[in-house]
Amino acid sequence: MTNISQNIANQNPDVIASRLIQKAHNRDGLPEIFIGLAFLILGGLCWVQAVAPPRSAAFVAAVLGFIVLALLLGLGSPWAIKTVRRKFLVETVGFVEMKPVPRRRSIVVAAVALVIAVAALIAAWIGNGSTPPTAWVLAGTGIGGGALLILAGRSPRSVVGGVSMAATGIVLAFSGISLEPGFAILYGVIGLLLFVSGTVVFLTLITKPAESGE
Amino acid sequence: MSAKIQQLGEIDRVIHEPARLMIVALLAAVAEADFQYLRQATGLTQGNLSAHLSKLEEVGYVAIEKTFRGKYPLTICRLTERGAEVLNHYRKVIKAAL
Repeated sequence: MTNISQNIANQNPDVIASRLIQKAHNRDGLPEIFIGLAFLILGGLCWVQAVAPPRSAAFVAAVLGFIVLALLLGLGSPWAIKTVRRKFLVETVGFVEMKPVPRRRSIVVAAVALVIAVAALIAAWIGNGSTPPTAWVLAGTGIGGGALLILAGRSPRSVVGGVSMAATGIVLAFSGISLEPGFAILYGVIGLLLFVSGTVVFLTLITKPAESGE
Repeated sequence: MSAKIQQLGEIDRVIHEPARLMIVALLAAVAEADFQYLRQATGLTQGNLSAHLSKLEEVGYVAIEKTFRGKYPLTICRLTERGAEVLNHYRKVIKAAL
């Protein structure tokens, strides 16, 4: 029996269940693989933005690609992960059908995202287009992204990934590199790390003999 | 002794067992899950999980359906309405007492 079951009577069972589900979701490495791939592609697009002349076809394509990929990742990867698990991994990771997200929660999340986007636009307009120093942006992205990785994964390898992302952001901040190449390196490093760790976990899982169900 | 503390004596002993509470809490958070998923998520052994699920099914808190996905047998577990009510009541009693 896990330590969690021994402590469950002392804690909110809903919180415990939420943590168990989150751990189960990350067990096969698939979320890391998809997120790692997305970061690698984003890093490549940032690099194109860095080297292509502003307003050139390549530059515009990279910006549009960045936006499209962000949308695809947000909307498509949960479906893709579920499909791969149901088709190929059900004997290994089991089967689960999650409850549908309540419509009210989706509306609240969309409203909050809209408010943040509008606030950012207003701040940029008030600031006459001025941006924070590049170093702050790189360090902030690394530290913020690293914290999100740790919270989302709740596992030793997600801690390693999160700390690596934070450290990379800080190193890039001190290096004096400009924004687009800095983001390209940051996304590339973390993308590679996540992709490799996710793949190792996935291969380890599928090569382990599956235990039979009841 | 406060009435809320005294209520602790009346909590459902089937659901209060830590492993069964974990199973019920997990099933409350999802629409349905199979035996293999529950075993991996809870960390319980096959025999242990099977015994607890049988107990929960016996008292009507969990419904178990044996089906197939292609050729692979699946044992699907769902929390019943009765199980959800009992868990809800359990939450309220524990929260009030603690």
